Amino acid sequence: MEYRLKNELEEIRLLAEAIELWGKENGIPGKALFQLNLALDELLTNTITYAYPEGGEHEILLRLVPEGEKELQIEIRDDGLAFNPLEVKAPDIKQDIDERPIGGLGIHLVRQMIDEIEYRRENGQNILLMRKSLN
Amino acid sequence: MDIKEAKKNNATLIMLEGRLDSSTSGMLEKKLLSLMETGEKNFLLDFSGMDYISSAGLRVLLMAAKKSKTAGGKVLLSALTDNVKEVFDIAGFTGIFTIFATAEEALKDF
Repeated sequence: MEYRLKNELEEIRLLAEAIELWGKENGIPGKALFQLNLALDELLTNTITYAYPEGGEHEILLRLVPEGEKELQIEIRDDGLAFNPLEVKAPDIKQDIDERPIGGLGIHLVRQMIDEIEYRRENGQNILLMRKSLN
Repeated sequence: MDIKEAKKNNATLIMLEGRLDSSTSGMLEKKLLSLMETGEKNFLLDFSGMDYISSAGLRVLLMAAKKSKTAGGKVLLSALTDNVKEVFDIAGFTGIFTIFATAEEALKDF
């Protein structure tokens, strides 16, 4: 499945609906679909919110390719500011309510939902290549 | 996302429905802040109709919990669905919030 979305937050819900349909047609379990949608939501929310400080309409490309029945390849490309999610520090999730800073959980959720993440910056594009096990 | 609210004895019950994400979390934040401005400090957020939460939603919940606590109140949660519970576990929010199986049970705790 290939999907192109504009840099608007409302697009993420529409993408989630499209992925639900696609996932059902391709026999992908509901739990994996939820985790996939959450990871994509977090990554795309970051891109849409921070990658285009000058504004303007941009296109983000998403590709989902099932590898047999057990794995899914995920690719996201955008032409926004360089951002490597692998450099984001993990939060301390054991802190109590007073110590806990507000925010900083998005990339942590992505890392828990996705099995492998590779980042490249090429030709002015952020490229994320990911793998998710469907077991 | 839909937000319904009901004033109970010692708290405001807020029933959430749909998706709590980056495009809807601002709505909940505004609602909670405006209730806090009227002096409310105890909130019960019922998640029985909510099947999706992202970090944008978690952000608003933590903000509300901190503000309520400072005001001498608290934010309780009830009826987390499986997907929402999974996100709470991974974010470490299960340890920060008191979570009840039903709204009725939670209301007795204020």
